[in-house]
Amino acid sequence: MDSIISTFHIDWKIIIAQAINFGVVFAVLYIFALKPLSKLMAERSEKIAKGVDDAKTNAYMLAKTEEEYNTAIAKAKAEANKIFQEGKKEAETKRAEMLETAKNEVASVVENGKKTLEAEKVKMVEEAKKEIIALSMLATEKLIKEKPDLNNL
Amino acid sequence: METSNVKNEFMPARNASSIADAGGEEISQEITLFAEPIAHYENFVLTNALLTSWVAVAIIIALAIFLRKGLREIPGKLQSIFEMLTEEALALCDQVTADRALSLKIFPFAISVFFLILVSNWLGIMPLGGFGILEQGEHGLTFVPFLRGATADINTTLALAVMAVLGANVFGAFSVGLWKTFNKYVNLKALGGIFKKLRHEPTIILVAPITFFVGLIEIIGEFAKVASLSFRLFGNVFAGEVLLVSMAALAAYVVPIPFLFLELLVGFIQALIFSTLTVVYFTIAASNHDEHEHEAEHEKSIIIN
Repeated sequence: MDSIISTFHIDWKIIIAQAINFGVVFAVLYIFALKPLSKLMAERSEKIAKGVDDAKTNAYMLAKTEEEYNTAIAKAKAEANKIFQEGKKEAETKRAEMLETAKNEVASVVENGKKTLEAEKVKMVEEAKKEIIALSMLATEKLIKEKPDLNNL
Repeated sequence: METSNVKNEFMPARNASSIADAGGEEISQEITLFAEPIAHYENFVLTNALLTSWVAVAIIIALAIFLRKGLREIPGKLQSIFEMLTEEALALCDQVTADRALSLKIFPFAISVFFLILVSNWLGIMPLGGFGILEQGEHGLTFVPFLRGATADINTTLALAVMAVLGANVFGAFSVGLWKTFNKYVNLKALGGIFKKLRHEPTIILVAPITFFVGLIEIIGEFAKVASLSFRLFGNVFAGEVLLVSMAALAAYVVPIPFLFLELLVGFIQALIFSTLTVVYFTIAASNHDEHEHEAEHEKSIIIN
């Protein structure tokens, strides 16, 4: 043991001095570097974790909102389609009704026209007949007057 | 404080190389196994290794204060490097401890060991060997450099190893309790178990003394840890310095350069090994042996049932 101590010059005073050196390094590194650095890194990690959580929450909320939006849009589309279909159906019914009414009116007008025309025609024929009779009477009278010998026939 | 002019008598491993002539007298530089004294203060001898160690401490303090002042939420270059180092070192710690909470407790000690050894190792190979004092010795003038790798002195490595092993035991005492830590070495619990379990387990009369003896061997193991840690680091760093001096003696300018880089790597690896082993010792000290025994007994009962 003595030979080892003398060979390597093992000196307890230097060992203590070196131990103190290490103690100083440990204390300084812990107080000035490791503790504040760890605190800062932990805070940053916490912030990042919070940021990630917030981002997840936001993404979830965005997805939920998007889903709600899509549902609302689909619902609105369905309702609009329904309203449109109903409107179309109603319009078609009204159109058919109006068409029917118009057809009826046209038929009535045509019927009335026909009736009037018929009446006019009958009237005209009557008048024409009267005229023809009158004319025939006149012509006969004229002829008798011009040729009295006809009365002798 | 006065400058020493007495050459030390203990120089068993010396590798002297002539430096230059000073007024007709040859100056030699010797590679010694021990750190050379450069000054005395009463009974205290200031060695060049201790001086280097102080320089290393000063550099670390300066770095720590500089880092503290420059701490920002958005990190700068130095802070980024330190943060990256911290993250990587913690991940390495986790591989040993398998527990982040335990890693966080051990980490400040281990990283302090790492930085002190790393800076000391690298300071030792800095090309500042030209600064020193001339001492009158038996064989003429001897050049003693001011800087010698702090870890190339067994006193430094011994101090660090003692701190690591002692620190591990203190940590163990705080983690698992003083009584359990004491029982790890002087296993009174095992001896006491003879009276408790003799009826159910007659074999305990053989097992308990062996367990007690194993505990005593653990005490020797702690000294072996100190020796192993200190001599490994000292041997590697000292061998590196010898290698560099030998290479420089062979060819002064180009040849030592690759070896300088090699020594930079060796310095880093040795610091890493020492600090990793420190983490291992701390982890072992903090592990509760009783829990393992209980778990083993529980598993045994499950298998039997």
